[in-house]
Amino acid sequence: MKCVIEGNGVKVFGKAVHALSRIGDEIWLDPQEKGLALRTVNSSQSAYACFCFTPLFFQQYIPDPDIQNGCEAVKCKLNMKCVLPLFRCASWRERRVDRCEISINIPNSRVIFQFHCRHGITKTYNLGYQECEALQAVFPAHLCPNVLMAQSKLLGDIVVHFPVSQEEVTLSMSSFKVTFKTFCEEENNCIKGMNTELMLYPDEFDYFQVGEDSAVTFCLKELRGLLSFAESYSLPVSSQFGVAGQPISFTVKDMALEAHVVLSTLTDPNHESPSRPAPGDDCPVNIPKTSTAEISTCEGPMETEVCVADGEQVASSQGSEVFNPALHMRKMIQLHAPGEIPSLVPESALTTPVTPATFKIRSLLFGAVYSDGGNDKTVDLPSLACASDTEEDGGTEEDLGNNVS
Amino acid sequence: MNVGAGVEEGQKVEAQMRRCGDNVTRDEACGGASDTLKLWRIRVVNTVSRLTKACVLRLTCDHLYFVLSGRVATGGVSMWCELSQVNFFDEFQLEGVSADANEIFLEVAPENLSRALKTAQNAKSVKIKLTKKNCPCLTLAAELPSLSSVSRVVTHDIPVDVIPRRLWHDFREPQMPDFDVSIYLPPLKTMKSVVDRMKNLSNYLVLEANLNGEMNLKIETELVSVTTHFKELGNPPWGDDGSQSSSPTHRDPDLMAEARVDIKKLQQFLTGQQVNPSRAMCNIVHRRILHLIFLHEDVSLQYFIPAVM
Repeated sequence: MKCVIEGNGVKVFGKAVHALSRIGDEIWLDPQEKGLALRTVNSSQSAYACFCFTPLFFQQYIPDPDIQNGCEAVKCKLNMKCVLPLFRCASWRERRVDRCEISINIPNSRVIFQFHCRHGITKTYNLGYQECEALQAVFPAHLCPNVLMAQSKLLGDIVVHFPVSQEEVTLSMSSFKVTFKTFCEEENNCIKGMNTELMLYPDEFDYFQVGEDSAVTFCLKELRGLLSFAESYSLPVSSQFGVAGQPISFTVKDMALEAHVVLSTLTDPNHESPSRPAPGDDCPVNIPKTSTAEISTCEGPMETEVCVADGEQVASSQGSEVFNPALHMRKMIQLHAPGEIPSLVPESALTTPVTPATFKIRSLLFGAVYSDGGNDKTVDLPSLACASDTEEDGGTEEDLGNNVS
Repeated sequence: MNVGAGVEEGQKVEAQMRRCGDNVTRDEACGGASDTLKLWRIRVVNTVSRLTKACVLRLTCDHLYFVLSGRVATGGVSMWCELSQVNFFDEFQLEGVSADANEIFLEVAPENLSRALKTAQNAKSVKIKLTKKNCPCLTLAAELPSLSSVSRVVTHDIPVDVIPRRLWHDFREPQMPDFDVSIYLPPLKTMKSVVDRMKNLSNYLVLEANLNGEMNLKIETELVSVTTHFKELGNPPWGDDGSQSSSPTHRDPDLMAEARVDIKKLQQFLTGQQVNPSRAMCNIVHRRILHLIFLHEDVSLQYFIPAVM
C-alpha cells in the first residue's frame, strides 16, 4: 500500500489518529480498494472506532502495489503509542508539513511514514507492524429504531456539562424530549458525585426519529475523540441506537472520509415505570426502562441469530444483571480474512445466553470486504467460534514469521 | 453529623441569577454591566475550588461565605472568603435553622459548585435550591439558550452535608491577628513566578517585610540561598483599627517581621487566583502566621498560612 496525503489532510489524518487513541491501544490499518481504514477497539472490547478515508482524501492512493505477485494489500496493526507521537499537534506549529507518504514495506514488516516538511526537511519513521486479520464490526445502523442527527457543536455543547472524568452517561429518548444524564450504578454511590442532567427538545436536532422510547447508557469518555474530531471540521454527527443493551453507533460522514464509533450499552433488567417530571422538578428523573425480557428481533433473515433471553442473572442483593459488554461486542467484532464469507451459525452453537442479537451492517466500506457486495438478502452471520479464538491475538504469529526477511 | 437533618427541619435556600435583559439590577443602576460582573464572581468560586477540595458554604441573608477552618489535615491553613449575596443573585430566599439564626451551613466540594456554575455561564437564568434527593443537594438548574424555541435545561445536583447548629462555632469568622507588619503585595504575576522558581530549590520560604514598604522573599538551602527584594510596596493604613497594641506604632520602620512557611501552600494560593484583586496585602505575625488578604469589589478572600520553624 502506498498513499500520499497533502498538507492539510495530514492534520485531518492526525486528528483521526488522536480520536482513535482515545479508545484503543492499537491501530489497525486496512488498505482496501474503497479506501484506507484505520480501526481500533478498546481493551474490554466494548468500544470500536473506524475512520475510513476514501481515495478522494489522498493525493495518491494505491492500495496494493505490485510488490508481491497476486498478493492483496496486507492488513496490519500498529501500537498506538508509536503512531500517535507522529501526529502530535505541536508539530503543526513548529514544522509545517507539506505532505506525508505512508507505505507498507512487506518484506521488512514496516509501515513507513515519511513527512516532507518545510525547508526540505524529510522525516521518516519506520514502524514495525504485526500482520493480522482485519478488525471488523458489524452493526446494522439502518435497522436501529432511534436516530438522531445533530451538528457537532450541539453535541459539544451537550458533553461540556459533564466532567471529562465522567465515564457513563445515559441517553434517554422519547417523542417529547431527549435527556442526557450522569449514570450512577447504585443509588447510594451518587452521594459522592455530582449528578448532571441535560434536557433538549426534538427540534434542536437536524434529524430526529424515535422508533422506540429508550434509555441507553454508554461510555462518554470513548466518544469524546470522535466529537472533537467532528467539531474541528464542523461535521454533523448522527447516532443510531435501540433499546438498552443494544450498541449505539455514532457516525461522521464527509466526501473524503467516514468515521464510526460503536459503543456497547448497559442492559437494564429493571422495569421501572417511566415518568416524565417537569423541568426544574426536584424529584429524581426515572429513566424510562425498556423490557429486556423481550427477545429482540429484526426483520429479514437475521432472525436466526436472535438472542435467547435476558442476560445472566447474578445473585446479589440487587439482582442486577451482569453487564457483559465484552461478550456482546465480541459478537460484533470479528476478525476474518477478506473475501471469506462467514457462515451461518446455528443457535445451538451459542454456549452462553448473550445480550441482544448480533446484526449485520452494510456500510459502504465494510461492504467491500464481502465479495458478494451489498446484498441485504444474503446476510451471512459471523463464525462466532472463530472470532472468539482469534480476536485476542489479532495477528497470527505464523504470518509474521513469513514476512521477516 | 446528622446529614439531611437541616433539610428536614425546614431549612430552605432558593436563589436565582438572571441574565440581565429587561430587569434593572442593582449593578446596572450603578453603571456596571451586570453580566460581566457576575462572571468574575463565578471565578471566585473557581479560586476557592483550587484552594481546597472541601469547604463549608455559609449562607446568610446578605452574604455567602466559603470557609475552611485550619486543621492538622490541611496543614493548619485556613481560609475565609466572603461575597455579598445581592451582587451574586437576582433573587435570594433563605430560611435558616431558626429566626434568630437565619443561616445555613453546608459542607460542599467547591469544585462541583464551580463546575456547575461554569456550565451555566451562558444561561438565561440559573436557579439554585437546596433539595433532598438521595442526600441533601444543592440543585442548580440553568436555562440555556437553544436552537429551538424552547430552552435547554441543565440540572446539576451537588451533594452537600448540612452542618448542624452545634458545630457552627467551628466556622466563625477569624479574628484579625495582632500583626507586626502589614504590607501590600507586589504584582501577583511577579510574585507567583518568583515563588514558582523558588519552589524548585527549597521546601520552605521566608517572607519578611517592614513598615517601609520593603519585602523580601528568601530561600536557603545547603547549596544555595536566593533572595528577591521588593521595594516601595506601600503599607496599608490600618491605623488604630489595625489591632496593634494599644500604643501607636513605635515600631522601627526598617525592622523586618518574618514568617517561614511551606512554599507549596503559598504557591497553591498564588496559583489558584482566578481574579486579579484590586487590593492584595499580607499581614505578618512575626514567626507565627502569614495572613494574606485579597479584596476585589465586594469580595474578600483571606488565607492564613501558619509559620513553621
